Amino acid sequence: METTETKTQGIVMLGLKGKLDATTSPQLQEKLFATIVGGEKHFAIDCAQLEYISSAGLRTLLLAVKQLRTVNGKIVLYALKTHVKEVFDLAGFSAALPLFGSQTEALASFTH
Amino acid sequence: MSALVTVPFKNQLGEIERLGQVVTEFAQHHHWSPQALFEVNVSLEEILTNVISYGYEDNREHEIILRLAFTDGEMTAEIEDDGRPFNPLEMTEPDINKPLEERQVGGLGIYLVRKFMTNLAYQRHEGKNRLTLKKKIATEE
Repeated sequence: METTETKTQGIVMLGLKGKLDATTSPQLQEKLFATIVGGEKHFAIDCAQLEYISSAGLRTLLLAVKQLRTVNGKIVLYALKTHVKEVFDLAGFSAALPLFGSQTEALASFTH
Repeated sequence: MSALVTVPFKNQLGEIERLGQVVTEFAQHHHWSPQALFEVNVSLEEILTNVISYGYEDNREHEIILRLAFTDGEMTAEIEDDGRPFNPLEMTEPDINKPLEERQVGGLGIYLVRKFMTNLAYQRHEGKNRLTLKKKIATEE
């Protein structure tokens, strides 16, 4: 998995490319937690190039949601491929973890 | 590639990448739809990851055998390991209606496997765990 990181309007934009599985999820977890510890509270994850996610990836995001909750932060995802979104739907994540179609919608969710 | 392959894996998480390659090659050979390939990939990763992460009480190298077959539109995958007796079908299902913050982190993997597969069966046989996964697969020309 490859990640890219930029910051816009106080929101950390993380782009994920490739597979979020049992071997790559710990890398994302480390990155997210280091960034949260560094004081960041708002995250928007670009999933347009995320090809694959298993429960290990879901767990990483769940841990990030819980961690961000303690600092009143928020994480949203956008541009998920259909089969990736299906995993979120099946796991019941889409109800609690905001998923958006586009970056514009994802960013707008932070101002409302 | 024949309709049946047998591939040994070591009990190391790094093997997950090779598992993905083996399954993808098998799926392409049999013209599975991308969706079916994805669901099988996730399911086998979940099972192999469980065995590697929780199956062994020692630090030695172990062999986990995957047998993949595809006949008459149905995939059968068998995963056999010599780890401690463990029937993943007895795991309690996560409550997916709970708010995320209150969720336990475990149990999601096998939950996805149940959703993606048509049938699951567990056997403890001669000191080994054997989990059999079956799935009807849509193929494409």
